[in-house]
Amino acid sequence: MSASSKGKGGARAGRAKVDELRQAQKAKERRSRLILIGAVTTVVALIAGVVGFTVWRDVSTRPSLDAVKKFDVTREHTTEPATYEQSPPVGGDHHPAWLNCGVYPQPVPDELAVHSLEHGAVWVTYRPDLPADQVTALEDAIPDTYMVLSPREGLPSPVVASAWGTQIELTGADDPRLEVFIKEFRQGPNTPEPGAACTGGSDGELPTTTG
Amino acid sequence: MVVVAVIAALVGALSGSWFMHTRNSPPSDFGADAGFSRDMQAHHAQAVEMALLVRERSDDEELRTVAYDILTSQQQQAGQMYGWLVQWGLPQTGSGEPMAWVGEDHAKAHTRPDGTMPGMASRALLDELRAADGLAAERLFLTLMIAHHEGGVAMADAALAQARTTEVRTLAAAISSAQASEITLLQRMLDERG
Repeated sequence: MSASSKGKGGARAGRAKVDELRQAQKAKERRSRLILIGAVTTVVALIAGVVGFTVWRDVSTRPSLDAVKKFDVTREHTTEPATYEQSPPVGGDHHPAWLNCGVYPQPVPDELAVHSLEHGAVWVTYRPDLPADQVTALEDAIPDTYMVLSPREGLPSPVVASAWGTQIELTGADDPRLEVFIKEFRQGPNTPEPGAACTGGSDGELPTTTG
Repeated sequence: MVVVAVIAALVGALSGSWFMHTRNSPPSDFGADAGFSRDMQAHHAQAVEMALLVRERSDDEELRTVAYDILTSQQQQAGQMYGWLVQWGLPQTGSGEPMAWVGEDHAKAHTRPDGTMPGMASRALLDELRAADGLAAERLFLTLMIAHHEGGVAMADAALAQARTTEVRTLAAAISSAQASEITLLQRMLDERG
């Protein structure tokens, strides 16, 4: 009897112990699951943070083109001297011949340069008193084709970059917005005649024959 | 175990969709597809310019025909590359130096010290061609165009090795074989002129 009651009591005690162990086991599992979830969440949050920061840094340090001005311009061919509303011009009526793209040490006729803008060129002009090292820096900064570089009197800022219907005033050769402007507008979607040549035209002299 | 399996499944699904995405998405701004499409346009533009110049300076029927062939085909190919960039939503202007897309090691081999592309004639040599006439113009044109084609073949082969779009690889293969065989023709015509 005593043995059986003892046995019953022992079984009860044993079950309680098992329950206790089971509880402890469950708590342990819950704890390790929480740790795992916590770890995974931390890793995911870290990755998201790093990616987010990189993107944010790229976007926030990209030079802004907010200062770009846009204009509506005409585009007829004329052999008459043309007058332009902007200086340097960003479009308008122009000579039938276009200006060959490249680097010019002297000012170029507007009527020719405007035609090159129509073909997708970016025209970079600089004040004649811009230091020689900055002129060299401009030559190095621009792509080999679909670019015109020339000095020009009376600019509103040391360097001005123009594409068809658009323009930006720049502080100098080291203005980081120059590269962004060129990437955006050189043969960009604003080009009225995509694919038209920037060679085989005029080397800077207004052709005397009528076209 | 369950958590690990869920994470593994998530990672698998994510990388799978990323893979499918990159396979179907337009080429990158910095890759070989875009780089080749930009640089070969500029390269072709100079070939067109030289071919036009020699046609105005030579009466030789065969040479004028070869020049016509070069300028019409390369102008058309430049248009294809222009169109791809538009379709990919990428600017015609790259972010880096010309030929940057072939990679550090290759770039040194493919790009000349002055930073222009392989086989490109200098402005001074183009001016020389502009000033020349008749036989002298023909000889200079053939010499310049052989070097130009050799550079073109090197660029096309680099694109063939690195580009991932079918359209770029197909055109690069065509340019490589067409210009390689044209070099033989141009060399023969140059030899005939002493």
